[in-house]
Amino acid sequence: MAQRLLLACGIALTVAGSLAPFLWFALTSFKTQAEVEAVPPLWWPSGGWHFYRVALFDHHLLAYVANSVIVAGSTTMLALAIGIPAAYVLARVKLPGKAWFLGGLLTVSMFPQMAIAGPVWRLLADVQGLNTHWGLVLPYVTFSLPIVVWILASFFRELPAELEEAARVDGCTTWQTLTKIMLPLAAPGIFTAAILTFIYAWNEFFFALLILTQPGKQTLPLGIALFQGEFTIPWGELAAASVLATLPLVLMVLLFQRWIISGLSAGAVKG
Amino acid sequence: MMKSALRALSADHAAAWWMLVPALVFTFTLAVYPVIASFILSLYRIILSMPALGEPFVGLENYAELLRDPTARQAFLVTAGFVALSTTLELILGLCIALVIHAQFPGRGWVRAAALIPWVIPTAVASQMWRYIFNDQYGLANLLLFGDRVAEYVPWFASPGVAFLIMVLADVWKTSSFAALLILAGLQLIPDELYEAARIDGAGLWQRFWHITLPLLRPALLLALLFRTMDSFRVFDLAFVMTQGGPGDATQVLQLYGYKAMFTEGRMGYGSAVSVSVFLAIFFLSLLYIRAIGSRLLERNA
Amino acid sequence: MTWWSRDPSHRTGAAPIAAALICALAVVTGAIAADRADTSGEPLKPVTLRFVSWKADHPRAWDEAFARFADSHPHISIVRELAPHSSTAYHDLLTQKLKNRDATVDLFFMDIIWVPEFASAGWALPLDDLFSPEEQEHFLPAAMETGRYGGHVYGVPSRIDSGMLFYRADLLAKYGFAPPRTWAELITQAESITRGERTLHPALRGYSGQFKQYEGLVCSMMEFVGGYGGHLMTPDLRHSLLSTPATLAAVEFVRDQIIGHIASRAVLTYQEPESVVPFIQGNAVFHRNWPYTWEVANDPRRSKIAGKVGVVPLPRMAADRPPTTALGGWLYAISPFSRHQREAWDFIRFISSAPLQRHFALAAGIAPSRAAVLQDEQVLEANPHFRAQLAMFHGATSRPRTPLYPAISNILQRYFSRTLAYRDVNLRAEAERADAQIDRLLEIGRSAR
Repeated sequence: MAQRLLLACGIALTVAGSLAPFLWFALTSFKTQAEVEAVPPLWWPSGGWHFYRVALFDHHLLAYVANSVIVAGSTTMLALAIGIPAAYVLARVKLPGKAWFLGGLLTVSMFPQMAIAGPVWRLLADVQGLNTHWGLVLPYVTFSLPIVVWILASFFRELPAELEEAARVDGCTTWQTLTKIMLPLAAPGIFTAAILTFIYAWNEFFFALLILTQPGKQTLPLGIALFQGEFTIPWGELAAASVLATLPLVLMVLLFQRWIISGLSAGAVKG
Repeated sequence: MMKSALRALSADHAAAWWMLVPALVFTFTLAVYPVIASFILSLYRIILSMPALGEPFVGLENYAELLRDPTARQAFLVTAGFVALSTTLELILGLCIALVIHAQFPGRGWVRAAALIPWVIPTAVASQMWRYIFNDQYGLANLLLFGDRVAEYVPWFASPGVAFLIMVLADVWKTSSFAALLILAGLQLIPDELYEAARIDGAGLWQRFWHITLPLLRPALLLALLFRTMDSFRVFDLAFVMTQGGPGDATQVLQLYGYKAMFTEGRMGYGSAVSVSVFLAIFFLSLLYIRAIGSRLLERNA
Repeated sequence: MTWWSRDPSHRTGAAPIAAALICALAVVTGAIAADRADTSGEPLKPVTLRFVSWKADHPRAWDEAFARFADSHPHISIVRELAPHSSTAYHDLLTQKLKNRDATVDLFFMDIIWVPEFASAGWALPLDDLFSPEEQEHFLPAAMETGRYGGHVYGVPSRIDSGMLFYRADLLAKYGFAPPRTWAELITQAESITRGERTLHPALRGYSGQFKQYEGLVCSMMEFVGGYGGHLMTPDLRHSLLSTPATLAAVEFVRDQIIGHIASRAVLTYQEPESVVPFIQGNAVFHRNWPYTWEVANDPRRSKIAGKVGVVPLPRMAADRPPTTALGGWLYAISPFSRHQREAWDFIRFISSAPLQRHFALAAGIAPSRAAVLQDEQVLEANPHFRAQLAMFHGATSRPRTPLYPAISNILQRYFSRTLAYRDVNLRAEAERADAQIDRLLEIGRSAR
């Protein structure tokens, strides 16, 4: 009985703690300007989509959304295209120095952005990559490769080796084995890696700040961080924009919660 | 027969290497080379706003400067404090969340999704959200504590210590669920039979947690601890959006300090020295990581 | 070896290889086509100018100005690129472009404090050949001075700007006060008004200003330092003067008599946008801000105190001391990397012409930088505060004019914020430490090869 009570409390606290702060922000987005500025603050909004209209049309939020979709989408595709073969080789083919490579890759994922910011900026300047989406995608891919490779390598490792041996006997090359046999089997892992990469690229701030200086090209986190009104801080519009920026991710979590959890735990602990 | 099989194998090896090449190219061009370049840059004195000074090689002078600079010291202390406090809290909270979402109950999927939501919210959004919650006039915190006694409302961000704690709170709120995920994976590896046996022996809830869950969870906890340590060392967005480092440098974290030196002040050499120092700090931490846990993983991979 | 230079002749060996690889990979992302479109080609007659500015504070006035320009210059179209309002964020973003020799920036708004930096770094085009001495004479000499550095002109002043004191005329009248001329008067008035209104209006505070750790803190504090007759630096810019008695006294005054007393401690978290809110909500008696506040506070759509606002020069520290205020302002400047410098100059000449300055004064309350327009009857009638503004402007002090200002400003911000936010720090020790840091930077700045 005590255990059930404890669990109920735990559930309530987990849900409330996770959602309440953001719900307050979401409530704000439905207030009127007068309600936003009320001191003391009001609990309930009288409703209305005013701030959403302002955020979408006056602040061109859809342009930021489009930029984020392009950047996060391209990052995900490219990271998978590069990460899948690498993960397969690291999981299945006996190569000398493999362990070092995996360890090194993990270290790269922990690099502070600052440590490479200057040279990356200069490199991108040399290839006209500043202020372009692909210029942002390149560092994003670099930083999402480790997680993609780790998750996928752990997935490939779990797949039965007999299938591969059968394929090899039939004369398949490594590449053919990967594309014809392993890829369909690893689909759930690939899906998980894709979601995680997408979330990372959707949320990243530092490189976006460094690389995208033109408002028409900027991604959502930049738009939110540098959000400005005419004279005062437009909390209502900011809240509406924040809700819109977060909505796709919340949907993703609701739909794919199982994949995210199984993917992360597989990649992290089972190794 | 034997020979052709060997040839096929070595051709296969080559193919395998080729499949690694794109990943290697990215990693070397955009991670390894830049770190080396940053180190070289840090040996020069480069001030972008004063090209007339030239770009003299100054050896380790930028590092000497860094050691002397009280702001750098403060940034290091703030960052270290942030890392220690936020990872500790995240681990404790993460463990609690993991225990909850590991239990069997109807609607568990929804609770798991709810717990994940803070983790997927962009840090820029979370920063603005907490800035608003602790706003001196419109904030939820003041409303909850003081209701309509407006004159008592507290300007939270005006106190250095509180501003720092809000930054910690925002990070804990956002990333505890990530720690919870890693710990949950560890929980799932503990066989139910152990708990059954303990229950038969008459062990209470607390005893089972203390004698079974916690010891068996050690690897997962260690992993979460080190992941979070290294990640929180890189804190930037929170300070950039919420406080810009103030008041009185109470939230001046290393990455923000380095960013300002490099991109606001145009001191490329000095800024690079800051970056390289952050890098080295994290690098040694990750060596620790590889030693503590990684070796086990690497052996399995090899 | 030039490690940072964008000059192609200085590229290091690894870069071209890396460049080729990156280019090849980039095609995969497919984003490249979209990004290329606006950088290519050398247009012949029709020219598009990219103008980096902040989100205009009076969009309609600006839209009309651009429309007029389009009428008279049909071959030039202007694309406005909106950068963040915060001066520092704007600075970082703009200098990123200029470091990259980005030819897509043609002209930009330049904060007056960046002039030495931009001049020294080669990020602003010297305008000496375009801006004739006769034309320069039409502008207020003090305003022209903000755009000069090392004997060259780098910017055309768009307005005059300096800190002002706004007050609740209705409340001062109710309690029989004349606008304060000294800080002592201001404090007394603030205290008695808030005391008198306490039961009616518990949220009313005496004062609101900007004391967050950011660029504006330097302006705010410099006004107090000047009030005590002090300076932030020696005139030759060799030494920082934070540990001189006048400067220490200014910090003590703000720490002990303003923050947490007539002003809420919340001012430690305020930049301009936050600080104006208590004032226009009717929750502050006095407010220090830039001249645009007049328009904001008198706009009934967003202000609860429209029509009840007064504005005067900032108070003096003592009746026998001169008034002081921080010099602000924005200049029109041309990027040296622009391919359309001629057209950019055409635009600047147009937008800073007398008719346009009149338009901005009447439609947006922006104080003209041209002497004749500032004295125009109609302009003064619409903006009675311009007189006070002009008086203040002439005594305004500028922040240290050195190419190292961004770094020095960060040290100043840190010092002032620490000494105001922590009540128990050793003020003198902090001041001496900041002095040493600034002197060291200045010394590096002098170490020419």
